[in-house]
Amino acid sequence: MIEVLQLSKCFSSGSGRKKRVVQAVDGVHFTAADGCITGLLGANGAGKTTTLRMVAALIEPDEGQVLVDGVHVAARPREALARLGLLSDARGLYPRLTARENIVYFGRLHGMDGAAASARADHLAHVLDMAPLLDRRTDGFSQGERMKTALARALVHNPPNIVLDEPTNGLDVLATRALRDALRRLRDDEGKCIVFSTHIMQEVERLCDQVVVVAQGRTVATGTVQELSAQAGSADFEETFVKLAFPAHPLPAQVPTTGAAR
Amino acid sequence: MIPAAWTVYLKELVDALRDRRTLTMVLLSSVAMGPLVLMLVSSLVAGFEKRAEAREIVAVGMEHAPTLRNHVLRQTYTVRNAPEGWEQQLRDSKLGDPVLVIPPQFEAELAAGEAPEVLVVSSSGNQRAKAGTGSLVRLLRGFNQEQGLLRLAVRGVSPVALEAVRIQERDLADAAVRAAQLATMVPYFVLMAVLYGALNAALDSTAGERERGSLEPLLMNPAPRLALVLGKWGAVATVGMLIAVLSCLSFLPGQWLLRSETLAAMFRFGAGEAAAFILLLLPVAALLAALLMAIAIRCKSFKEAQASATGVVLAISLLPLVSVFNQEGTAPWHYAVPGLAQVTLMGRVLKGEALPWADAATASGVCLVLTLLALAFVARSLRSAAVKS
Repeated sequence: MIEVLQLSKCFSSGSGRKKRVVQAVDGVHFTAADGCITGLLGANGAGKTTTLRMVAALIEPDEGQVLVDGVHVAARPREALARLGLLSDARGLYPRLTARENIVYFGRLHGMDGAAASARADHLAHVLDMAPLLDRRTDGFSQGERMKTALARALVHNPPNIVLDEPTNGLDVLATRALRDALRRLRDDEGKCIVFSTHIMQEVERLCDQVVVVAQGRTVATGTVQELSAQAGSADFEETFVKLAFPAHPLPAQVPTTGAAR
Repeated sequence: MIPAAWTVYLKELVDALRDRRTLTMVLLSSVAMGPLVLMLVSSLVAGFEKRAEAREIVAVGMEHAPTLRNHVLRQTYTVRNAPEGWEQQLRDSKLGDPVLVIPPQFEAELAAGEAPEVLVVSSSGNQRAKAGTGSLVRLLRGFNQEQGLLRLAVRGVSPVALEAVRIQERDLADAAVRAAQLATMVPYFVLMAVLYGALNAALDSTAGERERGSLEPLLMNPAPRLALVLGKWGAVATVGMLIAVLSCLSFLPGQWLLRSETLAAMFRFGAGEAAAFILLLLPVAALLAALLMAIAIRCKSFKEAQASATGVVLAISLLPLVSVFNQEGTAPWHYAVPGLAQVTLMGRVLKGEALPWADAATASGVCLVLTLLALAFVARSLRSAAVKS
């Protein structure tokens, strides 16, 4: 379980008169339960990536805290990271290593021995349908193949909690479907707590048990897709999102309100 | 922490060694270049030796000076007439000997005791011709002295009256010292091998990792940051040292190809010297790896890191020149400057000295302190570097 409690973070750049302060996150809070897929939905620049980086102990929050299975991330980051499988926005692989070597490398950094990590790579390759890729060098992999390898790498230590930052970015329809299936299996078969951030409505509608709407660094609504639609009084989820995230800027009448935002 | 550092070390080493194209370039430039230059120098020296052995002078108008010709031939020299357009050939370095120009009235003036004037023509831009000037002038002085002595003897004056002081030359430098002068480039090449060996691996494991977006996932592992830095640094230093060892070893067969026998006899670079070189280079490999990583970790791309690393490359390339320009010999502070210290120490080893432990300890100590500082900086910068894209 991941508990995000009133997180705040501001960044400053420049100095003197040119100093700029940006409040990236301003009181985001949500709880992601085990056996449940939680979607962090927000427009570009809403603070999703910054929030997830604080969950991953890459950035220290100015205020608030993150608990992973009760472990305080800022105070005991290594213990928390051992319980997290993280797929960040940056998902670079080592092009001169094979997919298996990429996965085993991270397994070993999680304290696994080589044989166990390699066996786990085989298992994940089966789950993610990437077995033929396993012993090829990752140089020249397609976006989908790279994503699968990066996901397998993030899950090598079989973490109870999985955090994915915009995982479908750059993936085609088939790869996106395959990823959704994989996430459902991880939730249903293994009871994982899964959090993923996105700005794509379709994904949230099809996959999420719980949605957290983030706008201007704040949590503005939480609930299932149906609950949020009811709250906004709209059957269309895209319109629901816009009403919840930008209440001061309602959609102009001529904007099409069907289909995904992609 | 140690198992994590070891894991990172092995991965980085495999990664660097699989970068075949870069490794080939480094091997060609660092390992093959040294012996190649050594062979070029040897062929140059062999050329000088051949010239000295040839005992030949090139002259214009020797037919006007039978007395001088007689003296020259008695000194077992042969005389060759200067070729057509010899002035231009001297300028273009096509003629490798100075030219002696004798005026038509030489013999008459000599007989009349009027001191005829001869010209020794060379070009300071023509190294080979310039080197031959000394022996030609010495030959002419010998002729002068002979004529003078004959004239004094005719007048009944003892030749001893002309020699107030007798001069004898003795060169204190032994063969190894003279060889060291010729072989000063060996330490320089070996040092450059460490630098170029470490350069690519250091940049790839920091700025390269950042550029391809693998640094952020790496930091999401529970391994301590210091373990990641130590593993990467160890691998970079190992690759640098590996290239340096290959470079050192390449001079061993390289010297068998020396064309100059004198040079081959004087150039003392055996297994002992190679071992001393490797020992001296270890701390500088450690420092260069850490320093290059510290510079590159601030850079967003490999290209930017390459530009930033130019300063280090330039400093390491130019610092050894201090010992060339400094006429006052080695100063104690030379041993506190990384790069310069190692080149100076390797030079001393080549001169046949035992490894100077105290000075080597100073040089290594400085490298160690700077390495620790650079590594601490890399560890501190790692997290902020990962999240700044």
